[in-house]
Amino acid sequence: MLNSIIFSYTTFVYFAAFMFYLLAMVMNREILARIGTVASLIGLLAQTVAIILRWVESYTLGVGHAPFSNLYESLVFFAWTIMLLYMIVEWRTKNRTFGTFVTPLAFLAMAYASFSPNISSHIQPLIPALKSNWLISHVITCFFGYAAFALSFGFSLMYLLKRLDNQKRNNIFLQLIPGRSILDDLNYQMIVVGFLMLTLGIITGSVWAHSAWGTYWSWDPKETWSLITWLIYASVIHSRMVRGWKGKKIAILSIIGFACVLFTYFGVNYLAGLHSYAK
Amino acid sequence: MKDANILNRNLELQVPEICVIKTARCYQNHMKENPDVMVKSKSQSWPNVIWGFFSTVKLTIVLLIILAIVSILGTLVPQEQGAAEFARRLNPAMLQIFTSLDLFDMYHSIWFRVLIGCLAMNLIICSIDRFPATWKRFSTRPEPDRTKPFDNLPPEQSFLVQGTLEETANRVNKLLQSRYKKIRKKEVDANRFFYGEKGGYSNFGVYLVHLSVLLILVGSLAGSFFGFDAYVNILEGEQIDTVMLRKTMNPLKLEFTVRCDKFTVEFYENGAPKEYRSDLSFLVKGKEVAKESLLVNHPAEFMGVTFYQASYGSAPGKTVRVKVSRNTAQPTVTDMKVEAGKSIALPGGEGAFKVIDVRGDIMKMGPAVLISVQSNQGKPVDFWVFKHGEMVLKMLPEPMLKSPKFNPSAFKPYTFFLDGLETKYYTGLQVNRDPGVSIVWIGCFLMIAGLFVTFFLSHNRIWVHLLKTDKGVKISAAGTANRNPVGLERELEHLTRDLKGLFGKKG
Repeated sequence: MLNSIIFSYTTFVYFAAFMFYLLAMVMNREILARIGTVASLIGLLAQTVAIILRWVESYTLGVGHAPFSNLYESLVFFAWTIMLLYMIVEWRTKNRTFGTFVTPLAFLAMAYASFSPNISSHIQPLIPALKSNWLISHVITCFFGYAAFALSFGFSLMYLLKRLDNQKRNNIFLQLIPGRSILDDLNYQMIVVGFLMLTLGIITGSVWAHSAWGTYWSWDPKETWSLITWLIYASVIHSRMVRGWKGKKIAILSIIGFACVLFTYFGVNYLAGLHSYAK
Repeated sequence: MKDANILNRNLELQVPEICVIKTARCYQNHMKENPDVMVKSKSQSWPNVIWGFFSTVKLTIVLLIILAIVSILGTLVPQEQGAAEFARRLNPAMLQIFTSLDLFDMYHSIWFRVLIGCLAMNLIICSIDRFPATWKRFSTRPEPDRTKPFDNLPPEQSFLVQGTLEETANRVNKLLQSRYKKIRKKEVDANRFFYGEKGGYSNFGVYLVHLSVLLILVGSLAGSFFGFDAYVNILEGEQIDTVMLRKTMNPLKLEFTVRCDKFTVEFYENGAPKEYRSDLSFLVKGKEVAKESLLVNHPAEFMGVTFYQASYGSAPGKTVRVKVSRNTAQPTVTDMKVEAGKSIALPGGEGAFKVIDVRGDIMKMGPAVLISVQSNQGKPVDFWVFKHGEMVLKMLPEPMLKSPKFNPSAFKPYTFFLDGLETKYYTGLQVNRDPGVSIVWIGCFLMIAGLFVTFFLSHNRIWVHLLKTDKGVKISAAGTANRNPVGLERELEHLTRDLKGLFGKKG
């Protein structure tokens, strides 16, 4: 199918973008980073087209539904949200060093979707539980939340690396990373966006569960893990807003939070539960 | 940048001018100061100790993290239905620990609820404790002639205009009136001072979020006290008025009757299920009141009780096919279609029989029926008849074979054979009443609204200073915000641009 062919090309384009961003920092050549941006934009555009194609294709197959119904489609969408949010951040901050830490996440998601033997790229018809108008709003809010946390994870890594930077070391790569206060601030902004989106995602999920299963909360592992993630980020926000934690502490908590996000997304598949179609 | 510290009472009392003055951003190191200091200085009577304990945000963070960690435990230990098999693999000592801690139904255990109760308590007390300070922030109107906001003012935020001081002040006043609230003015010699603010209500966003959490908890409590969670299976064509409660496994009688008129299941070409559909009728006192089609994601409500399509299956219906053989000198064999519960005359007229129980599968030996034969005189004889009679003969243990209960020839001179059961679909319904659910939805809505206000709106305080000089009137604008310094910068940019526009200057 055309869409999955485009998706596998996109994987390589994102990898190329990552390499350009990385080389730009290692060799201190702004032009390479610009090529990275162009590659990212091409990848994002191609991926957008492919998502729309897949959506249209599902209708021609007679099973028409938004392309958010299994692990393959969710991984593709995850990469898309990461790249979209990243492009917005790059455009707003006019700084391309973030690309080195964010594009590999989108690349990994795409590579996992395209090359894992356990993941089918076929368009599958929707099982009855997924036939709901809440599917689109639930998936979109959750994945924008995940993507914001992914970016926050990238910024946290940059923050921790930047701490190693000093005059003696004179390392170009570290010097090119933006200042710590900028990173800290961006990190927090992403956490806030992610938290709002995750909250929306959990709420839309509960409303949906209520109409599908008759209960808005059933302590299913995926639900519970999304709550765990929510609790972790809630404590990050409280520790910062009220207790004034900054910098390294927030960066470390944000990395822990992203680990919870990943477990909510992937790890839960190893536990039995109601979200089994996302395997 | 800075932090939003809407909750920190101490900070607000000590440093009334929190936050950022444009370009002179203060980093709030003092935030590390212990917010409990004031609480601890109170007298150590019990209520104060408890109040002090619950009014710290440290406790909030600790509780959030504890809840996260124990919730992880609950996803690793199988809960409820899945628990039995896991429990079998534990040694007795471990099992004792697990059961006494309610680990197999952790999320409904007392200690988990106590933790949530503590969080609720913490949230209420923190909110009450900090409210006066927030109210003060919201309601106080700072002096218009403050100079501190103007420290390190970037040059693009002040400019000269021609005209009298009075006229300029009037025009500036008009613009500020149209844009800000709580305007204050002050005149000192050749100076005119103005103060105005925007978004003061954003100080209350966090209370909205906390209220929403409480509402969700109250809603879920209301659901568990005044609602029920039950299920029922209805055979096609049959009706029920009793459902089974999941928690206690007790039956619950409804105020009405539900009939399943039809159940259909559709499949895709690849064999995956496409749609489950139950056509239900609701009857009150035997009279049909409503008809609904139930689909997954499309529940039906009747008299406050909601029905959800949960599962389906097939079960033996009421009709069975039996063969009755009369073993006399001239043996006869009669094929019959029999409805359970109805009395049928025996072919030889020695009496009548009826099918009193129909089982799709009994003791893993296949379908069976319980037949009761009533002779013209004497007691009834009851016995089981299996579909796979010969196979069952080999499987049944000795004592059972000797029992007349398992002998299809127990009533002489007849032998009964079971040819087959008619099977029917049944629909599995989830049956709920949850009066708390609307409270939960209101809570969810408030949470989103509150988070939005807390994260994205800010309380911007604006000062404008007019100074008469030899060259004209100098206008400067500065401000502070409780968070979102970028938003404040934009606000000041717009204000300066419009002030310049007022006097025919290009921004």
